Amino acid sequence: MTINRKKASERLVTLVWGLGLIGLWEIGATVVENTKRSPQNVLPHLYQIIQSVFSTAMVSNKQTALQIVLSNAGLTLYRAGIGFLIGIAVGFLLALLMQRFVPIEKIAFPYLMMIQMIPILGMAPIVLAITKDIDKSRIVIAAILTFYPVATNTLAGFKSVEKEKYELMHSIAATDRQLYTKLLIPACIPYFFTGLKISAPMAITASILVDTLQGGGGLGCMLSQSLKHAMSIYVFWQIVFLSAIVGILSYQLMALIEKIVSPYERAGA
Amino acid sequence: MQHNSETEIKILGLCVDFPDKNSGDIIHALTNIDLEIKEGEFVSLVGPSGCGKTTLLRAIADLQEPTSGIISVKGMRPHEVRIRQKYGFVFQSPVLYDWRTVRRNICMPMEVMGIPKKERSKRIDETLEMVGLTDFGKKYPHQLSGGMQQRVGIARALAYEPEILLMDEPFSALDEFTKEKLHLDLLNIWKKTNKTILFVTHNIQEAVFLSDRIVVLSPHPGRVSAVVDVDIPRPRGLESRDGDDFNHMVSKVRHSFEGV
Amino acid sequence: MSDRKEFSLNKNMISTAVYPIFFGLFILLLWETEALHKIIDADTFTLPVPSRIIGIIAENLPSILKNTKATVQVAVGGLVLGSLLGYLLAMIATAFPKWGKGGLTIVSAFNAVPVIAIAPIMTNLTKDFSRDPNLRSMLAKTLVVMLLCTVSMSINAFRGFNELKPFSEDLMKSIAAKPASVFFKLRVPNSVPYIFTALRVSVPGSVIFAMVSEYFAEYIIGVGRQIRENIVLAQYATAWAYIAAAFVIGVTMYIILLIFENILLRGRR
Repeated sequence: MTINRKKASERLVTLVWGLGLIGLWEIGATVVENTKRSPQNVLPHLYQIIQSVFSTAMVSNKQTALQIVLSNAGLTLYRAGIGFLIGIAVGFLLALLMQRFVPIEKIAFPYLMMIQMIPILGMAPIVLAITKDIDKSRIVIAAILTFYPVATNTLAGFKSVEKEKYELMHSIAATDRQLYTKLLIPACIPYFFTGLKISAPMAITASILVDTLQGGGGLGCMLSQSLKHAMSIYVFWQIVFLSAIVGILSYQLMALIEKIVSPYERAGA
Repeated sequence: MQHNSETEIKILGLCVDFPDKNSGDIIHALTNIDLEIKEGEFVSLVGPSGCGKTTLLRAIADLQEPTSGIISVKGMRPHEVRIRQKYGFVFQSPVLYDWRTVRRNICMPMEVMGIPKKERSKRIDETLEMVGLTDFGKKYPHQLSGGMQQRVGIARALAYEPEILLMDEPFSALDEFTKEKLHLDLLNIWKKTNKTILFVTHNIQEAVFLSDRIVVLSPHPGRVSAVVDVDIPRPRGLESRDGDDFNHMVSKVRHSFEGV
Repeated sequence: MSDRKEFSLNKNMISTAVYPIFFGLFILLLWETEALHKIIDADTFTLPVPSRIIGIIAENLPSILKNTKATVQVAVGGLVLGSLLGYLLAMIATAFPKWGKGGLTIVSAFNAVPVIAIAPIMTNLTKDFSRDPNLRSMLAKTLVVMLLCTVSMSINAFRGFNELKPFSEDLMKSIAAKPASVFFKLRVPNSVPYIFTALRVSVPGSVIFAMVSEYFAEYIIGVGRQIRENIVLAQYATAWAYIAAAFVIGVTMYIILLIFENILLRGRR
């Protein structure tokens, strides 16, 4: 089998599975429809959800369900994005400092390990209580959840550089800056992006979760309100799908940026 | 080969000690080494593992701090020579950057040294031809065989035109056929460029075939047990390995080890 | 660079332990003396000093233990069930590689779906399961944790079954081993390190997912829910007591994992 045909058949298999999953959902929805009082709360048909996306009926505040979802998504994702960027900067900087200064590595490393054992997301409410501002806490939580995967993975990237490569740079009297630009930073890029791929969906999850804590708007807030039947339940279903799609896309986006940035991939082979 | 009789590297009473990684005991890697190497000379450092041959090379390259003694290269300390970028170091493994193509790997030291772009490109072409990899410049390291990768490592060390080549068992991981080919290539390159070459190996035949002189080192503590002049005429080809001269020279070197 | 490795071993070990402990004590001191509050601009009401938190823990010990038990039950239950199911799925996928691989591509997409989208769905789905709201909430929460642990185990175990050492399959073929013995003598042992790769993600994940799904559960119990409820009631010191409990749960479960890993992966590289 040629590589192309193999790829095509792999795609076909994935497609069949996707369709199977949709079929399973629909069977479930039909069962629910016939047994429950308000099936749309439990498991609506997919076409009902799609219908609600294009529906022009006003759900609340003179907005359709889709308008509500999209306007609140902007609010949430924007904060998640800022937190994500701050987290990347802090994480990368910390990895750099840990690489550079042994005492900093010794102090920070056990704590980095510990952070990944602690359920940070569950501490979102206290962050909100301390910062007293929903926007700030969205950013802070997203940044915390981003910084440690970035820091640990980037540090692993720096550590992956063999002793001989340092010695090569040393033997040609490379400056400190050249050591970073020519060796350490290119070497850590794949590791760095592993960190980003882990943390991008987490930052989004975090930001939505923080929304649910207060009535100030955002995807999570709308999700809670819709669950409490303050507005159409389809707002909830749309948010479920939107957050799933955005989560997956955020991962894909990181993979795409990696492809563009990575010097190795760019030249192609 | 005729070389200028000027001394390139001079070593006096060199000692290197370091603590053992596991036990923490002091290891005398090198004790009281005296050695002189002339400009344009091809000298091999030969010995079993633990004899300090790599340590000696690394001390000259300023990759290892001596405990005591003097190393003078072109009348300077190794550190000054390294800072002036006069060393070309070839490692046991190719040490290539897997995110760079062959050309860009060879280019890397020249970027570090600020050599103009046009000149860089010219020298890459030249060295690629020298090591016989002209058609492979756009490939990535993982697409090459081990022997080809090692040749890229040598090309990289040649391209920025260092005055002294320091080679640490560069062919030890290669198969016999590739090795023989690279021996001839290396002798050719040496003839063309007339560099001083210091070559570390544990392979006596290799050392005899390549060198003007062989420095035999013995372990525990690392010391020079003999210096053997190789009087096999140059230019040398594969047939040089078949003569009685060659075998005689090999056994002479073999017999000069002490306490092994 | 080379002098980094020239520290003697003892000195190295001492500094590895002493630096972080000293740093931790320093932070605790800043916290207790309220200097920390000035740095991050908080007050002792939302961020009580450590001695007060310890006092609160002592006062509320029975209810903290009760909620801790609820969270641990969900986390461990979901972790165990999900990991077993994931391992089983990976086995099936290995038995039918063509269809299995595509199926796991779909499964891996669930990795990027935020928990917040899944938790409310599970709560709704399990509404008719039992009259007892505590029981059905437990089921909903366990299902959330289970789903996410299944995903990470199935992906990693599948890799463990299939990323074999070079020539190991040839060796089995050369002795005419049956597929079953290839599976149990080669693939299963090969998958063990991959199981731990999955668990390193899903053990901390299970605690987080348990805490977050508590937010959406009907019945108010669990460490995560208590953090939130107490903050809503402005009982910040009590909330901090539950945060301490969450911290202990997370760290304890991770350390147990590390102990298991140490025993089972001993002698492997």
